[in-house]
Amino acid sequence: MSSKIIIIATAVLLVASFSLLFIIEAKNHNYDYNKTWSVIYFENPQDNSLDFAIENHEGEKSEYGYRIFVADDKVIDEKVEINAGATQKISPVISSERLMGNKVLIEVNYKDTEYKIYKNLGK
Amino acid sequence: MIFDLLKLIFTVPFLLVLPGFFLQLAVFGMKDKRISFLEKAVLIIPLGLIATNLIILFLNKMGILLNGPVIVGAVLIFCAACFAIFQFRFGKKKDKKEKESDEETEKIFDFSSWQTIFILLAILLAVFIRTAYLSDTIVPSATDLGHHMYWAQTIIDSGQLPNYGVPDFIIGEHMIFAAVNLVSGVKLMSAMPVLLLFLFNITGIFTIAILLGRIFENKKIVAVSFFVAGSLYAINAPQGRYVSGGVIGNIIGDMLIPVALYFLFRAFTEKDQIFAGLFLFSFAGLLYTHHLSSFIFIFSVAGILFLYLILNIKNIFGIVSDWLKVFLKPFPLAILLLSAFFFLFVFTPSYFNAAAVTQATGTPTKITRVGLSLSQIEGGVGSAQLFLATIGFLLALLAIRRKQLKYSVTIGWIIVLFVMTWKPALLDVNIPSNRISNYLFLPIALLSAYGLVRYFEIFGAAASRFFSAVLLFTLLFFVITNGLSDSADAFKARPQFQQAMETFHSAEYLAATVDTNKDVVLKDHVNMYADSWYKLFFMKDYKYPLSRGMLTRYVDPTKTRETCTRDMISFPESDVARECFADTGVNYVAVNAQIEGSSFEQLPEFSKVYGSDEISIFKRN
Repeated sequence: MSSKIIIIATAVLLVASFSLLFIIEAKNHNYDYNKTWSVIYFENPQDNSLDFAIENHEGEKSEYGYRIFVADDKVIDEKVEINAGATQKISPVISSERLMGNKVLIEVNYKDTEYKIYKNLGK
Repeated sequence: MIFDLLKLIFTVPFLLVLPGFFLQLAVFGMKDKRISFLEKAVLIIPLGLIATNLIILFLNKMGILLNGPVIVGAVLIFCAACFAIFQFRFGKKKDKKEKESDEETEKIFDFSSWQTIFILLAILLAVFIRTAYLSDTIVPSATDLGHHMYWAQTIIDSGQLPNYGVPDFIIGEHMIFAAVNLVSGVKLMSAMPVLLLFLFNITGIFTIAILLGRIFENKKIVAVSFFVAGSLYAINAPQGRYVSGGVIGNIIGDMLIPVALYFLFRAFTEKDQIFAGLFLFSFAGLLYTHHLSSFIFIFSVAGILFLYLILNIKNIFGIVSDWLKVFLKPFPLAILLLSAFFFLFVFTPSYFNAAAVTQATGTPTKITRVGLSLSQIEGGVGSAQLFLATIGFLLALLAIRRKQLKYSVTIGWIIVLFVMTWKPALLDVNIPSNRISNYLFLPIALLSAYGLVRYFEIFGAAASRFFSAVLLFTLLFFVITNGLSDSADAFKARPQFQQAMETFHSAEYLAATVDTNKDVVLKDHVNMYADSWYKLFFMKDYKYPLSRGMLTRYVDPTKTRETCTRDMISFPESDVARECFADTGVNYVAVNAQIEGSSFEQLPEFSKVYGSDEISIFKRN
């Protein structure tokens, strides 16, 4: 009888533990749950396109400022509000003559944190 | 989430309990006098794992594409076949006599109320400490687990078993994870792999307990073994840390080694062919799962039997002849032939070649293989365990009866593993000493449980009750404080879930934007968290993306190592690195944003295409 109690109790304990761990993992395997971070990236890193995206994983609706520099000249300075967990795609319009052969830098600010990405565009 | 959990909760018993149960039914019937309920229950999972692995190997050999319905059907057919054998062997027998003698068998594992409470508390503590520790590491991130899951994913994607091409991976480390995914649909990038390892780890505590039960036939020792093997150093390697770290071979090996030894011990002491056959079956399962565990097991058995034969040298031929008689019977011979058939014609483990044996034996070739110092061994196994095991060893020496195999197991096992760890050259062993030391846990748990109980018994009967009580409490205080100290880490750890998720996000970005046929990605293992899981996002090749490994790996006095993966991240502006970029075709580099990211930002030949708090990705123009 004692063996049966031990085996049954262990099985129940393991199912409870597994369920808890499975749920903890499933909840945390998420870009937003209990996390505070942001990311910016070019939608297409392969070509000269400047389309980029900002993802807000800060846990709240936030305002991001973004500035675009072409060879150190600021050409765009805007702000955008992004919902928690959302992705904002931005397609800057800059003439191709202006871009050619230059480094294009995109700076995104959220509170005190600055994110930047850039492309060195060929001629 | 809940649906996935339910699927997992039903799939794991289906793949691990059902085949094990029916296999036992075919072998032992319903009421076999030789095996107790506890033993049957404990052995279900190891036997079920081996059976499921063999089923998958067979399906693969038959050219049947592995998928959920096929595996479910094959497992059901296997269970039906086992049931038919059961009906054929036991169906018409009415076993009144067996029922009577069944009570005798149960006696070894029929614990008193206090012993049951003690065991339940030890199991509760063991599960609680591990759960607390794993709750901070449960999101997939461990390096070894990432590597292993790549191969499991390969099985899932292709429906076939992989050809590794390298002896480092063994098929038994991957099949069960793929099978659980194929049957349940629960992803590998979830808690599932760690939970399976957790199950095997807890089962390992029970397999040690039944081994001790048969060796010592002492319920107190069995009860204490749950505390010693389950609760002491519950986080240290090879326990909780190996579960979360995904050291699959060790965890399964630590479960199967006591099982194989249990069957061998019973085969020899009870001269029973059924146990001899099950020993061969479990050993075959071990061979399919982990080469190092198999190697350690072979040495362990050799050490135990050698000691027994030396102690009984006058009767050596009689003993060997008795042993052979046990194995030269229909059931073990059938299992031997079946195993040989599997190894030769169904699936040969990747490490089965002369080169692997040569590499693992001979004079140690590296500093990491020349043995550990005594203080390193103490640090590895834990002071309290070592102290208890020393007491157990001395008491076993004092109590030794040369004709009883149990003393050779108790003493021979620890001696051979200790020499392999401390002075491997004496046994011509040439494998990393710290990896061998992880297996010391098994004989040390055995000796500790024996030592603790015998210590209690000796001092409990001592003339001075006060003196004995002080000694006992001092020992227990030391054992509990020292033995549970590592478990404090379980409550101090801070989860790194965000870092892992940022790494996965960057991998997802690259997988969606690069063309793996022409783009070559290099990522950093040194400063990126959970990076080994990167390859699961591409599933192109085990070595894709390229990776900067731990820096010590590039310094190897025994052979020349490639250094491009290091140089391209450590010195990207150097001429050597430029040559490496040209030679390897690397055009994307993923690195830690704060460390290597800043240096890459100075280089005009790179564009930064992705930036988060943790990860930066650069594209070579």
